[in-house]
Amino acid sequence: MMSFDVLFNQFLSGIARAAMLFLVASGLSLTFGVLRILNFAHGSLYMLGAFLSYSIWKFILIPVVGFYVATIITAIILALIGILIEFFLLRRLYVRGWPEQLLATYAIILIITDIVKYGWGGEFLSIPRPKPFTGAVFLFGFPFPSYNFFVILLGLGLVIFLWWLVYRTRLGDIIRAAAHDREMVSALGIPIPWLFTWIFVLGSLIAGLSGAVTAPFGSVALGMDIEIIVECFAVVVIGGMGSLPGTLLGSLIVGEVYAFGIMFKPELALAFIFIVMAVVLIIRPWGIFGRPER
Amino acid sequence: MLTNQTEKKDSIVKRGWWLGLLFILFLIAPSILSEFYLSILCEALVMSLLALSFNLLFGYMGQLSFGQAAFYGLSGYTVAMLVTKVHFNFWLSLVAGVLMAGVIGLVVGYFCVRLRGIYFAVLTLAFGQLLFVIIYKWHNFTGGDDGIQGVFPPDFLKSPTAYYYFILLVFTASAYVLWRIIQSPFGQTLKSMRENSERTEFLGINIARYQLIAFVIAAGFAGLAGAIWVPFYRSVAPFYLMWIKSGEPVMAAILGGPPIFLGPVLGMFIMTFFHAWVLGFTIYWPVVMGALILVIIFFLPGGILGFAHEKLKERKEKLNLTKGQP
Repeated sequence: MMSFDVLFNQFLSGIARAAMLFLVASGLSLTFGVLRILNFAHGSLYMLGAFLSYSIWKFILIPVVGFYVATIITAIILALIGILIEFFLLRRLYVRGWPEQLLATYAIILIITDIVKYGWGGEFLSIPRPKPFTGAVFLFGFPFPSYNFFVILLGLGLVIFLWWLVYRTRLGDIIRAAAHDREMVSALGIPIPWLFTWIFVLGSLIAGLSGAVTAPFGSVALGMDIEIIVECFAVVVIGGMGSLPGTLLGSLIVGEVYAFGIMFKPELALAFIFIVMAVVLIIRPWGIFGRPER
Repeated sequence: MLTNQTEKKDSIVKRGWWLGLLFILFLIAPSILSEFYLSILCEALVMSLLALSFNLLFGYMGQLSFGQAAFYGLSGYTVAMLVTKVHFNFWLSLVAGVLMAGVIGLVVGYFCVRLRGIYFAVLTLAFGQLLFVIIYKWHNFTGGDDGIQGVFPPDFLKSPTAYYYFILLVFTASAYVLWRIIQSPFGQTLKSMRENSERTEFLGINIARYQLIAFVIAAGFAGLAGAIWVPFYRSVAPFYLMWIKSGEPVMAAILGGPPIFLGPVLGMFIMTFFHAWVLGFTIYWPVVMGALILVIIFFLPGGILGFAHEKLKERKEKLNLTKGQP
């Protein structure tokens, strides 16, 4: 019925989508794993990153490497914004209940959305694909955008970096310990507020990076935040909230389900994701790699 | 024991006096308010019903649903489609809307009540968003992002004043029913699950079943709010189901004070009228609302009524101390 090359092509675009999802969801998951705050506004930081990178790219106008420079600057700016949000807002809410924290990040969404609306308007923006990822690669006779390979590579790079950070460094030891028992870590003399700031900043930086990387897909527009964040929620729910291996697996599942779902019924591709999510939840309510909550 | 009971009666009488006055104010509102503010009042009442349904789960069961608007919108769509496409009886359409919200609430709730806390919030959000996406993308059935226009109530309800009284009636009756539910043994069980779900389970109570029943009730009342709103507004759009909309009852409850029955209503009234006022001079309402949320969270922990309640209690204690009573 379906030939192998069509399926392979679909599989590959699923991987590209999974890489994009991982870029966004990993920041979300990292923040949740350590701070125990579900940052609703993560998607909005991602959107802000996309718009900022467009403006920076347009402003600096460096040929060839302009996109890469803009991406790096965007990531740094978003990290700074992350510091502001953590220091002035979230830090004051750690003693409160999580509903208030959730509502605070919801408020940040509203504010960022309006800032973007005010600053850039409602039009679609796009950055041309950067060299050397402008063309297409032919696989089994199908053209596959080579930029997708760049995104896949970047996603892979982020997987390796986060793995290294969490499992191979001293900071990673602290991160894992803090996710397990925050008070104990604090009792050992490690300044928890400092750790929280850095994790939140790292999360924001990743959000900015992923936003900038999405710009050449030509989908920089209002509403892109909500579109991706809901899929990211599906990713973390499937994989287990706060777990990086879970986020990776969740991204792969959601990316592939979407890519193949779109072949059968494009309108319902998203619905398939939620059906998978429901099935996972029946078997493991806390996700594949998640821990049951207290 | 006896004094306790008379005290309780006293407070009910006092409360009844307040509510009576408020109700009279609401009854004469159409003759005082302009048509514009009357429609804002209608919106405030409908959204308050949504907030009350949300607070049954949040304030009493202790679980935050971030998908309550999905049931509101779903029921609104059911009414809109039955009325415009098949010219179904108006009253039966309302019933169908509520039933639809309840049935979908049963399905969604089946998955959600397995989880607690933030996981519950994310899952309700995800399911709510799923319903939104289905309605948004299913263009030839639901009209997609165009929504559905031309949803008219029966002739005698077409004037804003008449429809206002209808909304007031539905709201009052629903609030009363919800109040009774919360006071009933069932409501007490919900509260005990909020306080300590483990102990409640040890009493032999099936937590998941109780939570599912509460979830369906909440979905039904959210559906009722959507069902009566759409014919008033004459149209329905997909954003009614979106999680941004679901955030409004969350905000209202936290603004007013979740442990107090009418707290979410107060919160919703403030928000709705504030919204109407702000829209008079800027289209950037969300940023104002975002700032408002942050101000409330930082400076009024426990919400307005919760804050007032706390202060009153402090004063009472002080008075008691000066009187030399324990």
